[in-house]
Amino acid sequence: MSATNLTPPPAGGWRGSLRLRLLAGTLAWIVATLAVSGWALAQLFGQHLTRQFEAELSTHLDQLAANLVVDAAGAPALRGPLGDPRFARPYSGLYWQADRLANDAGPAERGVLRARSLWDAVLVVPADALADGERHVHRVEGPDGEPLRMIERVLRPAEQPERPLRLVVAADERHLTQPVERFNGMLAAALALLGAGLAAAAVAQVWIGLRPLARLREVLADVREGRAAAIDGRFPTEVQPLVDEFNGVLARNAEIVARARTQAGNLAHAVKTPLAVLANAAAGESGPFATLVAEQVGAARTQVDHHLARARAAAAVASPGQRTPLAPVLEGLMRVMARVHGERGLALELAPCPDGLAFRGEAQDLHEMLGNLLDNACKWARRRVEVRALKRDGLFAVEIDDDGPGLAPALREEVFGRGVRADERAPGSGLGLAITRELARLYGGDVTLDASPAGGLRATLVLPRA
Amino acid sequence: MRILVVEDEPRLAVQLDVALRAAGYAVDLAADGRNALHAGEVEPYDAVVLDLGLPVIDGLTVLQRWRAAGRTMPVLILTARDAWHEKVAGIDAGADDYLTKPFHMEELLARVRALIRRAAGQADTRLACGPVVLDTRASRVTVDGRVLTLTGHEFRVLDYLMHRPGEIVSRSELVEHIYAQDYDRDSNTIEVFVGRLRKKLPPGMIETVRGLGYRLACPPQT
Repeated sequence: MSATNLTPPPAGGWRGSLRLRLLAGTLAWIVATLAVSGWALAQLFGQHLTRQFEAELSTHLDQLAANLVVDAAGAPALRGPLGDPRFARPYSGLYWQADRLANDAGPAERGVLRARSLWDAVLVVPADALADGERHVHRVEGPDGEPLRMIERVLRPAEQPERPLRLVVAADERHLTQPVERFNGMLAAALALLGAGLAAAAVAQVWIGLRPLARLREVLADVREGRAAAIDGRFPTEVQPLVDEFNGVLARNAEIVARARTQAGNLAHAVKTPLAVLANAAAGESGPFATLVAEQVGAARTQVDHHLARARAAAAVASPGQRTPLAPVLEGLMRVMARVHGERGLALELAPCPDGLAFRGEAQDLHEMLGNLLDNACKWARRRVEVRALKRDGLFAVEIDDDGPGLAPALREEVFGRGVRADERAPGSGLGLAITRELARLYGGDVTLDASPAGGLRATLVLPRA
Repeated sequence: MRILVVEDEPRLAVQLDVALRAAGYAVDLAADGRNALHAGEVEPYDAVVLDLGLPVIDGLTVLQRWRAAGRTMPVLILTARDAWHEKVAGIDAGADDYLTKPFHMEELLARVRALIRRAAGQADTRLACGPVVLDTRASRVTVDGRVLTLTGHEFRVLDYLMHRPGEIVSRSELVEHIYAQDYDRDSNTIEVFVGRLRKKLPPGMIETVRGLGYRLACPPQT
């Protein structure tokens, strides 16, 4: 079983990020809405001003028509000055003019009567056919080169209906475009501000909304690193079911592992007692049959131990969220060693463990690894066994020293081979070291043998720290 | 010395019974947790061989209840459960030693001997009293190097006294430690065994303390 890979796959662009998805959607919507409403508002305002502008020109045109008289000689004249003083100020930007249209009675005459503001200029009106009562709007160039908006109508004076006049009122278009531009500028600024505000709000909302997910990720990391056994705390109602499910999976996982171990233990128990009976019966007899039984019982025992250890190792590392404090395990095992090897009067010394040192893994596996190494040390020690736990970077090490005969450097790797025993006289199946190394490596640690300063062998077990 | 063997597998129980008897112990058998619990609470055993996977009451629970009731006899756990965390649990429940199945009978006997010896405060496997030497490993008694032929009951009486040199041991205490539970006990037979032992041992070694019992007196070695 390989270590479970819990690192997330790399996110694939914006599709991979919930945050970017939410933000992209919201921001696109904000930009689109603001652009459309800005355009609509600008249009509305522009049209409104234009209508007002043209309505004013129309009013001037009507006033002009009402004031226009034609004298006996047929020359048009104003009955009185027009109301707006700008008609009297030269190049004021507001002008009027009367043209005589060409017909059978005579040729066209431009500017027969003009506003004083036009001074000596004459407005050039594009040629068009005007029906009675119609008003046309044109854009022309003014006397100062300025753009003019112009409105025209036809007037048939009662005194001289055969000579129709074209009346024209024109005003500087910049009076219209400048306010529209100013308005548009302000509108754009206001909308941009609104957009920025909305975008900030969206970012904040997404951040706040997704914060439980970030917290969830932290807690999950804790579970994976063995700092927590399950996901603690309340999450929003949308996330909590997920958390509950995950906790359920963790609990189920632990339960399955526990059951597998129990079953392996039960199986071993069921097989080992009959083996003990057989071995004892054979030991009481002599002859080839008894030898065969003794030999086969030994083989069966090795097999049972091997497969039981395999079953235990297979269950190891399967469940994240495991944390086992080191000190109680070491102390418990030292009590066992003191009893089981009590007859030999060994001095068993356990140096105080660094505070809070814990193994990122299962308690039974830690017992198994340390138990095998300690048992080995006690078997070979002459007088003393020293045990010491050390903190390392992300790991911890347990050094077990004995003052026994030690092991030749050439043999220090070989003894980890399955079933290899350095000395057939010592009890044991020879699996302990192999299993210990297998378990340690499954957890990403290792176990090594070296010469001990105490004179014998030093076993160093390195494991991940929680 | 009297030993309680708690084992639910009948064949293994018989093998243990035979081997322990052959080593000179009086043996009681219990096949389930309830009987074991009761026997351990009322009978003064010198050692207990305890299986853990027992019917009715689990072996660890039996052991914990004995210890809670103040029973201090040495207990050897004999089980197929060989995981180290199970050994820790066994020792922490109050066991004195832990042996896993399958096992060599010689190793079991050696450990039982060691437990009894340690419980009596004896360090050596050979108990000596003057010219008399009792080799607990061989269940053999020699006087000045000469092997002494003893019956099972005689050996148990001497073994019990040799573990407690200089202490006064009452008749009833001897009865409790040399007979198995199902044996027809009679404290008068103790006098018979002591009488026979006195004939085989150097004179004056087993003193009678009137009204109290017997005491093993060890003459200083010359």
